[in-house]
Amino acid sequence: MKIRVSIMGRSYHMTDGLHEFIELDDPATLEEAVQRINQLMPEGQTLTGSCLVLLGGTHFGSLDNHDPISLSDGDELTLIAPVAGG
Amino acid sequence: MGAGVLSEEGQLRLKGASAFVSRTGGMGGPASLMLTMAGVGRVILAHGGDLISPDLNRQVLGSERGLETPRATQFADYLRSMNRFVTVEAIDHEPNDAEAMELAARSDIVLSCAPTFEERLRLNRVAAAARIPFIDAAQWGMMGTLMVLRAGSTACLQCVYPTQPPFEELFPVVGAISSAVGSLAALEAIKVLSGCGRVAWGQLLTLDGFQAQTAFVPLRRDPQCRCCSTMFNDVEFNDMEECV
Repeated sequence: MKIRVSIMGRSYHMTDGLHEFIELDDPATLEEAVQRINQLMPEGQTLTGSCLVLLGGTHFGSLDNHDPISLSDGDELTLIAPVAGG
Repeated sequence: MGAGVLSEEGQLRLKGASAFVSRTGGMGGPASLMLTMAGVGRVILAHGGDLISPDLNRQVLGSERGLETPRATQFADYLRSMNRFVTVEAIDHEPNDAEAMELAARSDIVLSCAPTFEERLRLNRVAAAARIPFIDAAQWGMMGTLMVLRAGSTACLQCVYPTQPPFEELFPVVGAISSAVGSLAALEAIKVLSGCGRVAWGQLLTLDGFQAQTAFVPLRRDPQCRCCSTMFNDVEFNDMEECV
């Protein structure tokens, strides 16, 4: 199956090479999607556990604190790396 | 005047209100400027250190003339020059827990514009303890985020970030985005304080200038939150949700 992935926030330039869609086995979990995304990122770079997780525009928590999430074909997954700035 | 404006009653409420803005750089600077120009009665600024040249790509309250001098005092002077009817207080350092609590206790709203999550989460805690609204404004590069929260009726910042995200010493800033986010933070604060307009309670606004995308996202409250779930019982949550 294919899901659409959007990454925002801090250091999202690291995901420049990431395609808009990623392919996953069906069914798939959020953890499997994140594992796939991390494989596609530059070596040594991974998404931080405090990234916010949105699925279809709904907030589900952060990567390190969320209820179980099953993904379906066509889902839109948004990950927002926390920003502070000042 | 009809809907869509700041009413006379609303302006009077602003005059009687106090706002605590922690860090008055890229976002807190424009935010405190807009609060001052709107006539919020008391604006309390907290910002340590001296103004340095790299700040000037975003810190709109500063100028070349103020380099190497303390930020808080000169920023406060500038704000006073913009509206003589507003009382501006300057705190020339990052408030610790006790000081932040005291400042929140005599404020009606907290605007968090700090570079570290440690400070943002501290400000969230003191706003929750004081039972006042909390606005978190943040940016990175051309991306900005804004959250309008009131612990007890919406998620709090600790619900959103149960684990403190890592600190980033150096981060890119485009002043146009930090100013935009700071101004929007002030707009939400003005609505809260004046009672005019619909407040974006419990929502995250993402403003991705790089990809030309914006979104409002309702934020999920964490029932196990270390901050707000211990301060408010379920009865209070249910009662307050009706007010939002």
